[in-house]
Amino acid sequence: MRKRTSVIIVMIILALFFIFPFYWLVIGTTKNVSQLFQKSLLPGVPNHFLENVTGVFTYENGVFFNWLANSFLYAILGAFVAIFIACMAGFAFRRFDFYGKKILFILILGFSMVPVYATTLPLFMLFRDLNLINTRLAVLLPSFVNVFSVYMMVAYWNQVPDEIFNAAQIDGATDLRLFFQVGLPNVIPGFITQFLLSFVGIWNNFFLPLVVLNSRVKMPVILGITTITDPQGFPVYNLTLTSSFFAILPLLFLFVVLQKYFKPQLYTLH
Amino acid sequence: MTDEMKNIKMQEIMGKKKVSKRTVATIKAYLFLAPFLLLFSTMVIYPIALGVKLSLYGQRGARMWYIGFQNFATIFQDSRFWESFRIPLFLLLVQVPLMIFIATLIAFSYERLQKKGGAFFRFVYYLPYTIPGIVTGIIWSYIFSDGMSPFRTVIDLLGYSGTKILTRQHLPSILLVIILWAFTGYTAFIIYSSLISIPKEFSEQAQLDGATFWQIAFKIKVPLLKGVFIPLFIFNAIGAIQVFNEPWMLSKLVILPSNYTPAMYIYNSAFAQGRFTYAAAMGLILAFLTFLISLYVLRSAAKQMLAGDSQ
Repeated sequence: MRKRTSVIIVMIILALFFIFPFYWLVIGTTKNVSQLFQKSLLPGVPNHFLENVTGVFTYENGVFFNWLANSFLYAILGAFVAIFIACMAGFAFRRFDFYGKKILFILILGFSMVPVYATTLPLFMLFRDLNLINTRLAVLLPSFVNVFSVYMMVAYWNQVPDEIFNAAQIDGATDLRLFFQVGLPNVIPGFITQFLLSFVGIWNNFFLPLVVLNSRVKMPVILGITTITDPQGFPVYNLTLTSSFFAILPLLFLFVVLQKYFKPQLYTLH
Repeated sequence: MTDEMKNIKMQEIMGKKKVSKRTVATIKAYLFLAPFLLLFSTMVIYPIALGVKLSLYGQRGARMWYIGFQNFATIFQDSRFWESFRIPLFLLLVQVPLMIFIATLIAFSYERLQKKGGAFFRFVYYLPYTIPGIVTGIIWSYIFSDGMSPFRTVIDLLGYSGTKILTRQHLPSILLVIILWAFTGYTAFIIYSSLISIPKEFSEQAQLDGATFWQIAFKIKVPLLKGVFIPLFIFNAIGAIQVFNEPWMLSKLVILPSNYTPAMYIYNSAFAQGRFTYAAAMGLILAFLTFLISLYVLRSAAKQMLAGDSQ
């Protein structure tokens, strides 16, 4: 019994370590720059939270709202297209014994780990030739492919039992109906998990927009907040902190509300 | 016609039917695969191929000319490229083993606590993983900056007011803290997920023999978790050689060399110095290293899938 208590004490100390930056961020949003430099661990007195929020919202004529809207566009559209396409691919692997199946699967697996630092530079050259640099399409198009989620979708589809398809096929269902009405409902939980992970991945993606965008109104929020400066080009710590707080709020909300769908994934599936 | 001939004839017809059935299946399958294949080939395969082509060219400004493997020959002698692996190597040798060790202890603590707040701790420890690397970098770089750090007050009180916190010398340790903060809870959750799938029979006998909880944990359960430790090591090794966001944000408060990590060197070579083809070649080396590191997981994943396929 005493041993369990010591485990709890260690766990509480660790919890404080994991919570601390969140706490520091939240109290940071209540301070102006001179209060931040006082290094206190208490909220700012007087409280500057509203002033900071107004500062973020009115910064450069409200460009922060453009950033938020862009992030939602990139993450929702990108994740939906990527996962729907992956879902169709998974269905093809599940239902059909086609020529090149094994080779294609190995190809998908082999390219699922390609680092963005190898593909983004050639993509930049490609988009430059197509006049797509500094367009929203340059962020969206690469987001439409999520190779890893294809692998995961194949795994989800493989868990759908044969009987479900056979019964519908005897009733004369077409392949499209088998996909949409018979199969899809069975892989919806996997679809949601992959959608959420893909959403978060695109929301957090910094490198691709950094390379392909240069006008601020098209930036996602994660890139936008790193460009906040005063007119002389110096950092404005209180606004950067407050905008960081708003940039992670949607993620925290999603995680808290849809916790059961956030399943950690490794290549090992049981 | 004899029966034998009839049989052969039948087999021929059946065989043909089978082939045509497979052709139909192939057409249908590729219709479903078409959107993915189109985007996969233009957004992944083509860039890699273009990267290979670029890596074989010399470049000055907009002018490019074929030079064969000379970029690679230059890279192998470019000490700045190899120096950029210092941070990944440090993370690989210190952060990754340390994190997996701590995460294992945490996973066992979750198991021990189960009903007494285990779920609460799992939730809190996992939270940092949901935060983007850039925001993590912003918050922690401010927390460690000498102007804003709450630790500054403590350090001053201890009589080290002359020692700065956020310096290049301290950066590896600072990165260590940041990355441990971001990924330990997630790692612990993964280990815990496979820990609870270990059947009870494995520990029951040892329990009867009077073994303690931690004895059972380390002597019986840890060896059974091999299947999760290996992929964890591999994925974290990949994360280590590709580290970019956190040092990028820290470089706004500390002056860092352009080759602080391989990814930063690739980015800076391309966009600060305009050496695109050289950066493309380095990108390919990074991709190749990643592929080599992940080969073990990829192979076992392929085996698992293709085996499941024939059932």
